[in-house]
Amino acid sequence: MNTIIQKVRNIGISAHIDSGKTTLTERFLYLTKKIHRIHEVKGKDGIGATMDSMELEKERGITIASAATYCQWKDHEINIIDTPGHVDFTIEVERALRVLDGAILVLCSVGGVQSQSITVDQQMKRYQVPCIAFINKCDRNGADPFRVIDQLKEKLNHNAVAIQIPIGLEADLDGIIDLISMKAIYFDGEFGDIIRTDEIPNSLLETAIEKREELVDAASIFSDELTEAAIEEVEIPDQLLLDAIRQGTLKRELTPVVMGSAYKNKGIQLILDAATQFLPSPMEVDNVALNIDDNEAPFTLTGKKEDPLVALAFKLEDGQYGQLTYIRVYQGKLMKGDSCINVRTGKKIKIGRIVQMHADQMEDVEKIEAGYIGALFGVDCVSGDTFVSPGLNLSMTSMHIPDPVISLSIKPKDNTSESNMAKALNRFTKEDPTFTTFVSNETGETIISGMGELHLEVYVERMRREYKTEIVTGEPSVAYRETITRLTEFDYIHKKQTGGAGQFGRIAGFMEPISDDNFVFENKVTGGAIPTQYISACEKGFLSCLSKGPFMKYPVTGIKITINDGASHSVDSSEMAFQAAARGAFLQAYFKAQPVLHEPIMKVVVETPDEFQGNVMGSLNQRRGMIIGSHDMGQITAIEAQVPLAEMFGYSTIIRSMTQGKAQFTMEFSSYKQVPKSVLEEIEKKIKTGT
Amino acid sequence: MLKKKLILSDPLKFLVQETNNEIINGCFGAVASRAGVGKTSFLVQIAISSLIKEKKVLHISIQNPVDKINLWYQEIFSHLTRQFETKQSKQLWEHLVSHRFIMTFETESFDFSKLKTRIEELKTQNIFVPHLVIIDGLSFDESILTELDDFKKFAKSHDLTTWFSVRMHRHQMSDNNEMMEQIYGQLSDLFNIIIQLVPEKEQIQIKWFTRVKDINNHRNLFLDPATMLIKENPAR
Repeated sequence: MNTIIQKVRNIGISAHIDSGKTTLTERFLYLTKKIHRIHEVKGKDGIGATMDSMELEKERGITIASAATYCQWKDHEINIIDTPGHVDFTIEVERALRVLDGAILVLCSVGGVQSQSITVDQQMKRYQVPCIAFINKCDRNGADPFRVIDQLKEKLNHNAVAIQIPIGLEADLDGIIDLISMKAIYFDGEFGDIIRTDEIPNSLLETAIEKREELVDAASIFSDELTEAAIEEVEIPDQLLLDAIRQGTLKRELTPVVMGSAYKNKGIQLILDAATQFLPSPMEVDNVALNIDDNEAPFTLTGKKEDPLVALAFKLEDGQYGQLTYIRVYQGKLMKGDSCINVRTGKKIKIGRIVQMHADQMEDVEKIEAGYIGALFGVDCVSGDTFVSPGLNLSMTSMHIPDPVISLSIKPKDNTSESNMAKALNRFTKEDPTFTTFVSNETGETIISGMGELHLEVYVERMRREYKTEIVTGEPSVAYRETITRLTEFDYIHKKQTGGAGQFGRIAGFMEPISDDNFVFENKVTGGAIPTQYISACEKGFLSCLSKGPFMKYPVTGIKITINDGASHSVDSSEMAFQAAARGAFLQAYFKAQPVLHEPIMKVVVETPDEFQGNVMGSLNQRRGMIIGSHDMGQITAIEAQVPLAEMFGYSTIIRSMTQGKAQFTMEFSSYKQVPKSVLEEIEKKIKTGT
Repeated sequence: MLKKKLILSDPLKFLVQETNNEIINGCFGAVASRAGVGKTSFLVQIAISSLIKEKKVLHISIQNPVDKINLWYQEIFSHLTRQFETKQSKQLWEHLVSHRFIMTFETESFDFSKLKTRIEELKTQNIFVPHLVIIDGLSFDESILTELDDFKKFAKSHDLTTWFSVRMHRHQMSDNNEMMEQIYGQLSDLFNIIIQLVPEKEQIQIKWFTRVKDINNHRNLFLDPATMLIKENPAR
């Protein structure tokens, strides 16, 4: 472990699906001698990339869970989190960005800035993560890195500037010209690990000079010394230019762009150089915790290893040796044998084995200091927990966790599968806050919920493979919600006299729709019309009606209930009576308040070759999709639409056959919208027939 | 309800009156100014004015991404509905968005034949049948005049009202009137209405020319620099 914190880089690799993130990471690991052989993502050797450690990831060629690894490059230690590209797994990307100090945004030189690049860029903005951009696949037909730089500027508002230019493109990609040293660099040997530096070819000299001028121009904003040197037209020392680019990158006001081809091993060493040169060390990043004792006021951490501990558990994995907790230390240090507090539970934890991870292999270490990432064994916690030294009450900023939008019923085939399924679900829900599970009171079936069809499919598959659980899945169902559309008053008396103590409670007030909350209860009763001790019973009574709405039996959201009058009886009134009165009042008013059904609407972006764009639009239109727009990029058109989730089941198969597998789409939750009347009738029929 | 109120308070109504409704009905028009004066916001007002009258709008933008165009609409719409209830505005916005289609092109990937194919495809598949087409960001030079003439015929045969933005360069701005006459001379055969946006002191004056007559003295209209909405100067 490198003990000089300034030489440490915690970086993530974020990009659109299939841009080559995992391939790039594989090259990093090879060049930093962490692995001794390169395995391709969908390679013929059948081994799969090292970072795709899950069997399923290797098979599908996508990264599902981000694995953390560290490597040494020159005199720097680099901790890399490989992040998934599919939007269903975005929580992994968000978690990774939460703990990283810098990122490499990987873009395809043909596809350019794609839909998922926009999503990950927004995430990087949210967590203020400085980044460099790597334009990959410069060896592909149609590669145009400068068009991608323009898109970085226009679509993502990055002040992007090339610090390299390619020597040749497509099949002719030979090497890279470094615009800082003004040298041509070639990558020889089977895996491009032998670097050969040469003079810039004459044919590219003019372009290189022009692009360097652009670079100096962009960087000079961040250095007076560089501006002076540029004006006086004296020779600019490399370090002066590097420092200026670094300043701009750290402020997120400049995005240096490197380019090459991960698959063809061209330019990879220069990305590692750029990451260590321009991305921040943990000491250069302000990390803010929430002070729980001060109403969650922001609290800037010092980042010093001598100070009390503040660490975040950002990822859990259940391996052969028990639960492995990935942790980032923000302040202080975690020592083997020390104790700390889990802020969420208030429980004391004894630190046992500490390791540093390399995909699914590990190295034992004695401690993790501020700025470093490591993993702990045998710690009982959930993802997102904060660990602190005794006496501190700080929590790391809570992560934005979206509500699940799709559910699936699952049933084990036999007894063994049943207990394994429980184990698997326990683990998955701890690891992934967007994956939830519950047992339906009505059917007794176990329901799993998540962020998309693929998200649930992957967990079902993992249960089969990792836990040998044979399960039967039902049809996916959409998380519909009920809500009301108008203000309605209620005045309800609950009265029962059937011998013995009677029941009496009267509640009056009104219910109204609200848009920014699920449920709000307001007590405006004056003069003790409802005694204070029964007010909470009223709220409880209303709350009990929300889980299953009277309209279509779906949860009720977006409702505010205000009570302003009532009556009680000195003998017959009780908490139970007022709960029953609240339920009665709710039913009395609910249908008059014109309930409607809302359904999740997804933002769908399809990127398709030009010739299929008409068909793709037609397919979205058929699915009740509202096409927001299309962006024609020459060969490829990106179509953005808002489509109800209920209509998107199985769309990946349909689009594959419609476009000969040439189109791809991403889907993420956008909003809840009212279900149209014609569709409502169909849903009603389905509920009635129980299908 | 809100729609009715918006129709009554539509800032474009002055121009609609002045042009006998032509501005949003059957016109082949252009909004000309130098960069950054307000061509896009003016075009978006024409679009919103049509949308609230239940006319479908196809907004073509060359170079700007879909999100950016959408932001223009949101901005102008929020200025127009500021005084009204938020919930109603939100509902109306969602309704309007379903009547609008934004189609953007990279500069090098745009051509009129492709656009015509796209419009025909949208209509044939009944995905979107536009009434108004806005074309923003097109570079105007002599070479496209024939294509424009051809597109005009296409627009007429498909019953499309079409509005273009025409960007003028600073060197053309030395004398507004002279320049406008020059532009009008060049483009008057093509466009039924040419609207010129001219920054004067702290306001942006709106001048318009039609093939029939120059009627820019009837009303004194300007773009409010704070909201970019069309306003009438009552002082005149």
